Amino acid sequence: MSVILFATGALLALGYFTGVDWHVLGEALLRTTYRLVLAYALALFIGTFIALVVGWSPFSDALFPVFDILQNIPSFALIPIFIYFFGFTDEMIILFAVSSIIWPILFAILTAIKSAHSDMNDAATIFGAQGLRRMIYYLAPLSFPAILTGSIVGVAIGWESVIGAEIIASTSGFGAFIKEAGASGINSATIAGILAVLILVFVINRLIWAPLLSESARRYAE
Amino acid sequence: MTDSTHIALSLSGISMRFKDETDHSKFALRDISLSISKGSFVSIAGPSGAGKSTLMRAILGLIPIDRGDIVRNFEHAAMVFQNYALFPWLTALENAAFGLHMEGVPRAKRNQIALEKLHEVGLMGLEHHYPAALSGGQRQRVGLARALAINPDFLILDEPFSNLDTITAENLKKDLLMIWEKYGMTILMVNHLIPDAVELSDTVIVMSAHPGQVKKVLPIALPRPRDARQGQFFKVVDELTEVIRSVS
Repeated sequence: MSVILFATGALLALGYFTGVDWHVLGEALLRTTYRLVLAYALALFIGTFIALVVGWSPFSDALFPVFDILQNIPSFALIPIFIYFFGFTDEMIILFAVSSIIWPILFAILTAIKSAHSDMNDAATIFGAQGLRRMIYYLAPLSFPAILTGSIVGVAIGWESVIGAEIIASTSGFGAFIKEAGASGINSATIAGILAVLILVFVINRLIWAPLLSESARRYAE
Repeated sequence: MTDSTHIALSLSGISMRFKDETDHSKFALRDISLSISKGSFVSIAGPSGAGKSTLMRAILGLIPIDRGDIVRNFEHAAMVFQNYALFPWLTALENAAFGLHMEGVPRAKRNQIALEKLHEVGLMGLEHHYPAALSGGQRQRVGLARALAINPDFLILDEPFSNLDTITAENLKKDLLMIWEKYGMTILMVNHLIPDAVELSDTVIVMSAHPGQVKKVLPIALPRPRDARQGQFFKVVDELTEVIRSVS
């Protein structure tokens, strides 16, 4: 991180970025982040819900390979379908990103439920965590570390999907910015954009994921 | 023994099969019949592979049996596990209160009961610790408090002492006897330590392995409280050891 900050600072000081329109870059990044946050929230909600219902149902083992096949469909192969239904809109980019963010979350939870210690499953049953209560008071808290690690992977994929979709749709956001700036090769605008994304990703990691990970490690230690 | 009101649990002809590595169907449990009277302390001893834990899970209805009948003449069954099986995301207090929470008991009430049970099993001042911050003995006490909190009339203990050091196990044994005397619930304990079984039980059921079968039901007639350093005590231990050796 310090290397990135140092490089950014040095380039700034050297006047490398004098031609960069920071206002446009900032707005583009903000738009991309907004789309990612929305897509992640949707994927988290839908993915967690599906995984908990499937993990709770007796069909988990049967559905696992089905999800595995669905997951393996390259998400960008589906982008024409999203464009067909939603056009070059915010909805298209967000829903397309949801379709890629959801898988790591879903699989992390399903795997966590599948690999839960059988004694702990028995304890939950004996002490009354049955039916819907099993999902809410046993499977959901049991899955918290998996939701977290699935989210970290999912958001990483999400950056890719949102920016990728923006490059393809070429309307607004960081993808469109970098496509426009980079049309004539590497220049100060693309470098500034890349550094800005790196800093943003690092800040999110530090402020959100790292504290949650350490909390999860503390509470879920064996 | 025919008076069913005094019987807490009766098994007749229980069999369970499983598939081994070569896909052959084998008996995990074969033709197990036994009955346990209300309020008694019964131990099940036998070599590993005798299906003792499987039998406990069948008794609780956690796994289906292939053949036989189980008559359960109890209201609330609880279980204490060898590896504690506490929920790591809950504090000691929340773990102890879990069963009551699932029964819909309001928070203040269930916390009060859980706290009482934690104190009763000798855990004080640790109620807000997570299991990871507790020693093995402390965790097993939380497991016991969790079981007691739902006021069980049938308590299953699956090798409750085998992960604990000797002194911790001795203390927990004393507390367990006190709890049994106080509440008078039926206790069914799986335990491979013969002196423990003799010290605690009214009856010891000896199982053999491959397939799991009941080989002998041995009443322990020693008066209580029992002194584990008496000659009479060792005689019974030797007798039981001999029986187990002959079936292994």
